[in-house]
Amino acid sequence: MITRRAALAAFSSAACAFSADAMLVRGLDGKEISIVPGKDVTVVTFISTQCPISNDYNDRMSALYKDYSSKGVKFFFVNANSTEPADVVAEHSKQAGFPFQVYKDVNVADKLDAQSTPETFVFDRTGKQLYHGYIDDARNPARVQNHALKDAVEAALAGKPVANPNTKAFGCTIKRPRRTS
Amino acid sequence: MKILILFAALLSAAPPSKLAPVDELTYGKTVAARKGKVVLVNFWATWCVPCRKEMPELARMATKLKAKGLELITVSADEPEDEKAALTFLAKAGIAEPAYLKRAKNDDKFIGTIDPKWSGALPALILYDKAGKKVKTWVGETDLKALEAEVKKLL
Repeated sequence: MITRRAALAAFSSAACAFSADAMLVRGLDGKEISIVPGKDVTVVTFISTQCPISNDYNDRMSALYKDYSSKGVKFFFVNANSTEPADVVAEHSKQAGFPFQVYKDVNVADKLDAQSTPETFVFDRTGKQLYHGYIDDARNPARVQNHALKDAVEAALAGKPVANPNTKAFGCTIKRPRRTS
Repeated sequence: MKILILFAALLSAAPPSKLAPVDELTYGKTVAARKGKVVLVNFWATWCVPCRKEMPELARMATKLKAKGLELITVSADEPEDEKAALTFLAKAGIAEPAYLKRAKNDDKFIGTIDPKWSGALPALILYDKAGKKVKTWVGETDLKALEAEVKKLL
């Protein structure tokens, strides 16, 4: 039996067999890693190369990453669209100038029941989901009134609850692979 | 007489010249006002590729089934400054009125009012029966043949 702590120790290595509950993503180099919320404040955000709403948040996501990764927050930006292969994701990341890695999804979108891009989840240091929903409440930065993700990360760092733990993540649908039953 | 009927049909299929605002307070009334008809509400935006792709087919379905009691309502989730682009697209896609522009005071409430399980992702289609009761929600790219079959069951 592999414990959560052990899983964290192997965070960046190929780690596809921790448990049935493991949330897995694949780096653009093809290596699978497991997302195990619980030690650090963890943010999982689903993004797209093609969704204009997601792309409107590129600068905001980069700024949040820069501001909070230095405070120990772990960020996972995940592309779960079957229509956007790894090479397209890599090129998009380069063009967008992302300071963070983007991963291809293995099972995280299904585990978290993510539906949209952009859509974000924040976990506190106990691994509890603290927030789920939009990054903020307006596509146009000038109209933002609720900086929900930033506020949730601040709350998680401070060990406080989030006033509104669920918001509606407006944007494009995640294009999951078609499955036959 | 036939010419008059054709003219009337053309008039009724006129593209919208303006998008009426709809919010969390008026959405329910908008659907309820059409009791007696099967209502299909299409949430879309000019930036949404699958929305644009399915729109001409939705327009064809709406035209074909209008006389049997189907009313297609489109609600654009575009920003107010994109209303002109939305109108241009609707005209090109063959979409007639009623056409709305989402002007929610609170997006969460607006989306929750429509379907609590809907995340707000586009495209989304909501089907109501003749009593105004929500029957089904489709989110994302939709099999429009299956959707048409569901619509026909209610007509």
